[in-house]
Amino acid sequence: MNKRSSLRITNGITVGVWLFIFSHFGWCQNTEFTKENFPGRKDELKEAQRKLQVGEEFFNNGKQELVEFRRSYFNLRKTYPVSFYDYQKAGYQQFRAALSPLNDANRFNPKNARLNYMLGLIWFMTEPISKEGLDFLQKAYELNPRIEDDLSFWLGWACHLNSKWDEAIKHYEEYHTFLKQRVKSNAAPIEDVKKKIYECENGKRFSAKPERVFVDNLGPQINTQYPEYGPSISTDESTIIFTARRPNSTGGKRDPTDNGFYEDVYASQKEKGKWQNSKQLSKNVNTDNHDAAAGLSPDGNKLYVYRHVERDGGDLYESVLFGMDWEPPVHMNKNINTKFHESSVSLTFDGKRMYFVSDKDGGIGDRDIYYSEIDVNGEWGLSKNIGAEINTKYAEEAVFVHPDGVTMYFSSKGHNSMGGYDIFKTKLVNGKWQTPENLGYPINGPDDDVFFVVSGSGNRAYFASAKAGGYGEKDIYKITFLGAEKTPILNTQDQLISVVANPVSSFKAEANVEVKSAKLTLLKGVVSDAETGKPLESNIDLINNEKDQVLATFKSNSSTGKYLVTLPSGSNYGISVRKEGYMFHSENFNIPDTLSFQEFVLEVKLKKIEVGNSVVLKNIFFDFDQAKIRPESINELNRLVKLLNENPKVKVEISSHTDDVGSVEYNQKLSENRCKAVIDYLISKGIIANRLIAKGYGETKPIGKNDTEEARQNNRRTEFKILEK
Amino acid sequence: MRYCFVLLFQWFVLSLNAQDTVKVTLPAETEQQAEQNYNMGIEALQKHDYQLAVNLFSSCLLIKPAFDKAYANRAIAFTQLKKYSEALKDINAAIYYNADNPEYFYNKSLIFWGTHEKDSQTVALDQCLKMNREHAEAHYYKGLSYFETNVYDKAIEHYDLAIKYRPGYCYAYNDRGSAKRNIQNYEGAIQDYMKAIDLDSSQTFIYNNLGSVYRMTGEYNKAISAYSKAINKNSDFLLALINRGATHLENNNLEAAKEDFELVLKKDPRNFSALNNLASVEIKNRDYKKAKDYASRSIEINARNGAAYYNRGIARQMLREEQGSCEDWERALELGVLVVKSFIQSTCNE
Repeated sequence: MNKRSSLRITNGITVGVWLFIFSHFGWCQNTEFTKENFPGRKDELKEAQRKLQVGEEFFNNGKQELVEFRRSYFNLRKTYPVSFYDYQKAGYQQFRAALSPLNDANRFNPKNARLNYMLGLIWFMTEPISKEGLDFLQKAYELNPRIEDDLSFWLGWACHLNSKWDEAIKHYEEYHTFLKQRVKSNAAPIEDVKKKIYECENGKRFSAKPERVFVDNLGPQINTQYPEYGPSISTDESTIIFTARRPNSTGGKRDPTDNGFYEDVYASQKEKGKWQNSKQLSKNVNTDNHDAAAGLSPDGNKLYVYRHVERDGGDLYESVLFGMDWEPPVHMNKNINTKFHESSVSLTFDGKRMYFVSDKDGGIGDRDIYYSEIDVNGEWGLSKNIGAEINTKYAEEAVFVHPDGVTMYFSSKGHNSMGGYDIFKTKLVNGKWQTPENLGYPINGPDDDVFFVVSGSGNRAYFASAKAGGYGEKDIYKITFLGAEKTPILNTQDQLISVVANPVSSFKAEANVEVKSAKLTLLKGVVSDAETGKPLESNIDLINNEKDQVLATFKSNSSTGKYLVTLPSGSNYGISVRKEGYMFHSENFNIPDTLSFQEFVLEVKLKKIEVGNSVVLKNIFFDFDQAKIRPESINELNRLVKLLNENPKVKVEISSHTDDVGSVEYNQKLSENRCKAVIDYLISKGIIANRLIAKGYGETKPIGKNDTEEARQNNRRTEFKILEK
Repeated sequence: MRYCFVLLFQWFVLSLNAQDTVKVTLPAETEQQAEQNYNMGIEALQKHDYQLAVNLFSSCLLIKPAFDKAYANRAIAFTQLKKYSEALKDINAAIYYNADNPEYFYNKSLIFWGTHEKDSQTVALDQCLKMNREHAEAHYYKGLSYFETNVYDKAIEHYDLAIKYRPGYCYAYNDRGSAKRNIQNYEGAIQDYMKAIDLDSSQTFIYNNLGSVYRMTGEYNKAISAYSKAINKNSDFLLALINRGATHLENNNLEAAKEDFELVLKKDPRNFSALNNLASVEIKNRDYKKAKDYASRSIEINARNGAAYYNRGIARQMLREEQGSCEDWERALELGVLVVKSFIQSTCNE
């Protein structure tokens, strides 16, 4: 190659490099609204400059509101807003007004860094997860990364909300560096940006190992184009109660602060596995102001409603299901409600402890979770903060205690959140709540994830989300937990021993997946009149037989007779269903700690106190092969005493029966001794002897065959029968 | 199956200890005729012509009705023809005429092996060992008997004795390796399998066993190498192909696994194991539709393949066919796939 051709090539390369640099920087270069940059377009430029000026004025006003909001938020809470929703649309009106003129200016000159910054921030503050917000902020950064001091912060947050974890971290780091170098008294903003970096690191880690779940929209029976959120679910998943802001809102008014319809509470029932069309609760519950569902008791009979009345900061109300309708909600007492904001309620399975959320003074952070217990008068007692293991300096919200009694779900902006509220789970072990565990991606994401309730079985959960693909605004979704990935089973074959040439088929099974099923037994059914079949309202006592203690009393519904009781594993429970004028019905459930979720349907048919009617006393226990009454029978015997005292003319036969194990004579004697022991107890409690007749039937009157242990157990029983009334 | 017969034959030839040819010294013509028939019978036995062998031994016994060796050998022929009651009568006759020959008791034990009468087999083996405590084959079968009842330490004791009294006993090494494998003494198992291969490298199933131990210990490359040796020696050894495919799958080499299972299907289109394993490959590939199709084909061929129901259940769950998925898992549970119980509990109770 000669010198000349070599020079030609070198020149060619140089031109190419310059062309590349020119074109590249030409695209990325900031273009001001000047006549030099737009020669021959004087009038258009003038109009664009005018629009820019108008828009910029609105923008600056909006941003000023935003800055002031941040300042006042910080003064109140000592943290900057963690979630986008914390901004409560600060500067919204001004930003909306700025959008149109700035768009016009941008159409004329799309390469102006500050204009892109303004449009990006407007979109971010009005529709934070929109593609536009991210695109404009990115473009502003490309054109001039230093156009505004806080550009990298908002761009970082836009990336963050779009799950672009690495990019978000990069921009947050830039902002962090800037804060460290240039801003005085910057500890709080530094803490804020460091938290956001931490959130992105969490998001990156969780999204790299997503949880295996199905997420399904609950469908048009529940969701509409309007917002639906705040679901509460009955333990057996047969009823869902939620908040919606639909045009048919009671009173039909709109909230002037955001122009949305006022909240009402809605409910839907599941029939044959399908949700029925949701219906607004009656005007007992819904008013022409905000009425939001704040929680449902595990038996589905108590509804907690959030209402905001002037100067009360937002309070909690309790409504009781009576028949087919909810009674007017009653304002909860001062141990629960304060002048601050109270929201979100969850009751333990026995209804004796309530968890709720309040931002009242004296908490650990912003909003905290508190609990209160029923006192001797049946009132909610003084509330206590649940403690620093759960509550953080940031906000906690939407508490839900699973009916298993030991698992709590809640939302928090603290802990290892991925951004905004994330949903966490904690377990009560030896009276202490354990370190909360983030439920992971995709249950949680960079946005607010809040209001999460879990079915009794623990296999499904319900939550609200504004995710794409819904019916509009926020919708309610169902999560089905799939557990760990199921390893397929292979058919492999060994030929281990020499003489047996037949291949041996063997399974190679993997270890069991962790099942998210709860240690809980669900007992439900209908209480009805044994003769007429008419549903009955009755009291259902749940008794811990081992501790001889009535744990809770539930009521069956007066219209439907339906009831639902949750029994955490690890105890022997007695169930007694009672109603005035009827003989009580008793059941016994022994639920070992090892047992996971199970559901029993028990139809209870109460018999009237009529001559000839009899009832099996299932919670009377004797020592093995003896006639000594065990102490855990006392509750049942006392119920019988009560019934006899309330019906002084009644005479009863107490009979005892055995199975067919052992000789006829022995069983006869044993049964006679056992019913005598019962009679002796009743007499000791003041029942006159001539009202009681003891009858030992031995093995002569079995209920069924004595062919299984279960059948034999049924045959071994104590009964009482009305002889006279 | 052909392999099974070859192995079974080898076992009989090596272990039945058929009686040696008798030197004809008797002058009487009839006796000569009897012994001629006897020798021809042994020849037929060696040529696997068992019916002819029975006929020839019977002709012999017509002339020499107290000839214990003819009864013993006819018992072997009857056993091969699966006529166990005739075989038993003959071996008892042999013992009747000569109760001092431990081999007759050993042969008797093998007839009981065929009839699956384990207790009687044990009695016969014990009688044999009482007469000859150094009977390697009897120890081997005692070991096998313990192996089958999962008493592996006892099995190993007898395999040790079998090897002691017959140091080149390839099958004893193999089976001792298997017993060691089952008590998770993988190192010992590998050593025994390797020794067995040293003694007789034509036994492809030993490579297969060696592969299984490597697979269990997670040494997938060594397992694949062992299976490959078995396949190279016998390209129709479908068992080894299936196992190699399974190892590839466990090693997350889905393509290689698929190749092996497809090769099995090419050779045996109705191989339900290969079909089910292809379903497993597709589950790992997250192609649940294909997984469902393969598992369904496997079930069509073998409706008692619990693994295929289990796998189809997984595929159907991911295809959102919840009801079908639960039905499949219920069936898998009925067929003994216990791991599915927790899935049913967690998923199928809505």
